[in-house]
Amino acid sequence: MALVVDAINKSFGQFQAVKNLSMEVKEGSLFGLLGSNGAGKTTTMRMILDIFRPDSGHISWNGKDVREIPRRELGYLPEERGLYSKMVVEEQLLFLAQLNGLSKHDAKIELDEWLDRFQINANRKKKIEDLSKGNQQKVQFLATILHNPSILIMDEPFSGLDPVNAIVLKDAFLEMHRRGKTIIFSTHQLDQVEEMCEDIVIINKGEAIVKGSVRDVRRQHGRNVVRLKLENDSEVLWLDTLDGVQVTKRRQDYIEMQMRSDLNPNVIIAEALRHNGIINRFELAEPSLTDIFIETVGKIALPDAPATVS
Amino acid sequence: MSNKTELKPTTEVASSHHNAEAVRSSGDTRSNTIRNIGLILRREYKNRVFQRSYIITTILFVVFALLGSCVPTVIQFFAARSNSQSHVTLVNNAGTVAGLNDEALTTYFSQRLNGNSNQSTASGQSNTKSHFVLNTSTVDQVKPLQKNITDGKLEVLLVLDRAAGNDVHFTYYTAAASLADTDLTQIQTVAGQLSVLDKSSHLGLTAAQTQHLLTPPDFKVVYTQPGKGGDSALTLAGGYFLGVIGTVLIFMSVYLYGMWVASGVADEKGSRVMEILVNAATPFQLLWGKIIGIGAAGLTQMLCLIVTGLVGLWLQKPLSMALNTNSSGFDFSYINTSTNLLILLLIYFILGFLLYSTLFAALGALVKRQDEVQNAVGPLTAVCMVGYMASFIGGSLGAGATWFKVMSFVPFWTPMMMLMRVATGSVSGLEIGVSIVILIVSILICSWISSRIYRMGILMYGQKPGLGQLVKILRQ
Repeated sequence: MALVVDAINKSFGQFQAVKNLSMEVKEGSLFGLLGSNGAGKTTTMRMILDIFRPDSGHISWNGKDVREIPRRELGYLPEERGLYSKMVVEEQLLFLAQLNGLSKHDAKIELDEWLDRFQINANRKKKIEDLSKGNQQKVQFLATILHNPSILIMDEPFSGLDPVNAIVLKDAFLEMHRRGKTIIFSTHQLDQVEEMCEDIVIINKGEAIVKGSVRDVRRQHGRNVVRLKLENDSEVLWLDTLDGVQVTKRRQDYIEMQMRSDLNPNVIIAEALRHNGIINRFELAEPSLTDIFIETVGKIALPDAPATVS
Repeated sequence: MSNKTELKPTTEVASSHHNAEAVRSSGDTRSNTIRNIGLILRREYKNRVFQRSYIITTILFVVFALLGSCVPTVIQFFAARSNSQSHVTLVNNAGTVAGLNDEALTTYFSQRLNGNSNQSTASGQSNTKSHFVLNTSTVDQVKPLQKNITDGKLEVLLVLDRAAGNDVHFTYYTAAASLADTDLTQIQTVAGQLSVLDKSSHLGLTAAQTQHLLTPPDFKVVYTQPGKGGDSALTLAGGYFLGVIGTVLIFMSVYLYGMWVASGVADEKGSRVMEILVNAATPFQLLWGKIIGIGAAGLTQMLCLIVTGLVGLWLQKPLSMALNTNSSGFDFSYINTSTNLLILLLIYFILGFLLYSTLFAALGALVKRQDEVQNAVGPLTAVCMVGYMASFIGGSLGAGATWFKVMSFVPFWTPMMMLMRVATGSVSGLEIGVSIVILIVSILICSWISSRIYRMGILMYGQKPGLGQLVKILRQ
């Protein structure tokens, strides 16, 4: 039970937007699609949505080709937000929900519930252009979820929100997760990914360069980082003599070092005790996703070739 | 074990033969096409009809239609007023002229003037409203009569004198400016004839011989094309008038509604609503929902216009009665012609709109923002314009030149030019039928091309595609 993307390719003219990309999104999971601007995230999303068709490769949902999934199973929040600016909130959402396959009656019930939850009931008769940006975002979010799709694909759902609205949207987001929706989203805020996502893929220049569960990814990219603080020795110069250990930072509060992954961090404790050190702090730190992102993408990233399709 | 190692090297680059379908095509069975088109067109229709600009233009159209339908009657009304009777007072100072005494002379003038006048179309009508009313007066009244002329109480005073040389002198008194005086030429002609009669009687010819001399030759005109012989200049002008109205209407509506489609598409693209729409509905549904919705809004406006026009025409008879213009010589047959033309107008409007709007939609899909639409549709506007202009020129020639006939079968120009041909001359049903078939075929071809461009265009935000790229899109 999963969304399986199998070796898809997509080119626009000479520009290859997605190269041989494979990934698997478990049903009901929160999946992070990461990558720098122009890496091919949006194109990948559009292919999952069957707006574009891959030049080669295959995308399936629970074993069924994505082309055969009823459209109402898919909800899409595009990166560039847009609604009919002259249309009234209520009419707009009813129109989109009906277009997505809901009956008018059902659409109204859903609409009432969600407008309440988002506290924008007072704005239901207003034109979109008269709403604040935060409220426009909420309406946009509603346009994505109102027809109760099972797969949500959201391009940068939290960008440009003030902290209060970000929390309202994040709650709704997590609510959809609780309801068992499969959510694929892209973001540049990697701390959010660490907080919410189970699995991620990092795309660079159309290729998946990192993928797996957040925990695995962090582990695999550990270079085990150890932070050490000895009360009676602020320099801990003997660390430099250890094989497979490289000190990266000497700070007032701790010393940070990287260990070869085949070494057991206990070696450090043993050494410290042997040097009669009094251990104030011993910490095994996993690298943050930001570190991994910068390391993996930054290594490969070349000056961006202009993308023809955003 | 890093996940990175699981990735195969990307040697398998997308090969060109996989390019078959770039964007989801129209044959999408997952979403209910009819239902979606219905939803989209309802939104488009409502959105359009409640727009302030739409309401204002509709009201303007209705007012113009009402006024326009009254124009012929109003012209007739003023023409009738200015054509009111001319009172001519005859003062015969010349004794017997051409054997006619005072009374006979007056009758002669009356018959000649009213019988020979331009009002001959009214010959069947009663003579009570003849243009010229003849009176006689005596020599001593000349002074006061001249004053009457100056005061405008009398239009014409004609004094006949006979000098020693035996020839009759005519003196014509009028207050009218020489250029505007249409009576002068007529009276002059009759006076000339009278003079000839007078002279010939002096030469010893009998009245009958003189009459024979003056009889016009037997001159027969044969019109080889049926239905044309009866056309008076007035009918032709009336047809041209209707043709111009029809051409203007078609051009205006097709262009205006076509622009609505183009800017609507560009607006959806520019505001990025398109991104959600295209997830919910196929490009095919979006394209046709928009075209039909806006077309229906346009048709509503056209129907308002046409119904008002019909009501206006229907009111003309009572109106002209009320104005007491006495429709002598006025032909109401144009009302019937108008009804036939209106049906054709409606057909050509719908077909013309479909033809142009699909292309307008494709052009709208190619631009990035709404303000670029005007430039993008420029070439298409120019094509439309050519037909518009040609329609005016061709229509004014009346008979139907060959180039006009040929051009009227070019689908982009058919709605305007064929309408003009029908209005100004006789066009066989076959020709109309053929033109409609050509139009329908072109609509099918154009909508096929357009939907492909539209499908690619709506999500393309990069540089504008060149002509070569467009051809490539079509080939795919």
